[in-house]
Amino acid sequence: MEALLDFSQRTGIYDFMNSAWGWPAVETLHFLGLSLLIGTVGLFDLRMLGLAKGIPMSALHRLVPWGIAGYALNVMTGFMFVSSAPDQYLFNPAFQTKLALMAIAGINVLVFYRFQFDPVKRAGAGASAPRGAKVAAAVSLGCWIGVIVCGRLITYYRPPYYWCFWC
Amino acid sequence: MDYLLWLEETPFSTWMRESGPAFFSSLIFHSIGMGFVVGVHVAINLRILGVAPRIPLSLMRRFFPVLWVGLVVVFLSGALLLIAYPAKALTNPVFYLKLTAVLGALFITRSLAKGVLQDPGYDAGRAPRGARVLAALSLMLWAGAVTSGRLLAYTYNILMASHQY
Repeated sequence: MEALLDFSQRTGIYDFMNSAWGWPAVETLHFLGLSLLIGTVGLFDLRMLGLAKGIPMSALHRLVPWGIAGYALNVMTGFMFVSSAPDQYLFNPAFQTKLALMAIAGINVLVFYRFQFDPVKRAGAGASAPRGAKVAAAVSLGCWIGVIVCGRLITYYRPPYYWCFWC
Repeated sequence: MDYLLWLEETPFSTWMRESGPAFFSSLIFHSIGMGFVVGVHVAINLRILGVAPRIPLSLMRRFFPVLWVGLVVVFLSGALLLIAYPAKALTNPVFYLKLTAVLGALFITRSLAKGVLQDPGYDAGRAPRGARVLAALSLMLWAGAVTSGRLLAYTYNILMASHQY
């Protein structure tokens, strides 16, 4: 925790975040990154779940790099928050749950591209996704919506007054 | 200011403020709804701008149901947040900026929905220049709406009409 804070202070992140508009500006970027992810990966998931049949899944998948860009933006902006006030995050049950959901989403991505992406890529415009791909899509959507919920709840818990019960 | 005072003293407004879950669940629904509303616009506008050109453009309308649900959630949860702290937003110019950006962007979406998004003639490749300009403008307006929405938590002068000094 001290290493994080020290890094933030040495690199100037801490001063930037605590400047007049630093924190709200980074929060805004964090929300724009989230919107990129939902608008690309989220809609691809919805297509696999059966919405918007007629759009070839392989064609829709071309939007996904924009979602990855949004994800990268959010990892960076997220790190700026956490390193500038680590005590508010590391002991926060909402933040811990958020990380756990991100880990599940990450494993889900690996499983999806290893085992399910090929048939999805080859499926016709009006086709349904195979069952496994539908499960992966539902896990992905559920995790990312859960991540938004947890992100919002971080400010609901203000450690050290709300320590998590499992740590 | 009188009607703001009246509104914030209604039992419902007081409950929205004082019950933690009521206020926080409104915030959460507002964030998720906004994520989907902006997200669908990101996808449609990127496609109009030429990204993912193999998506038949007119079929992007099939994501409109997501947009409708998102908009209902956003407006309902937004109204609840407004009822909780009416003076906070209504006395802040940034709130009207956000409203203008959202309505402007939705107006563009309506005109695109009646134009390139319903003409299968534009299904393949890049959309015409006019539509691309509107799509870029829409993305900027949504970025503006998100920015002003986030700033609402930082720029207010009055939190409650009854607590001005």
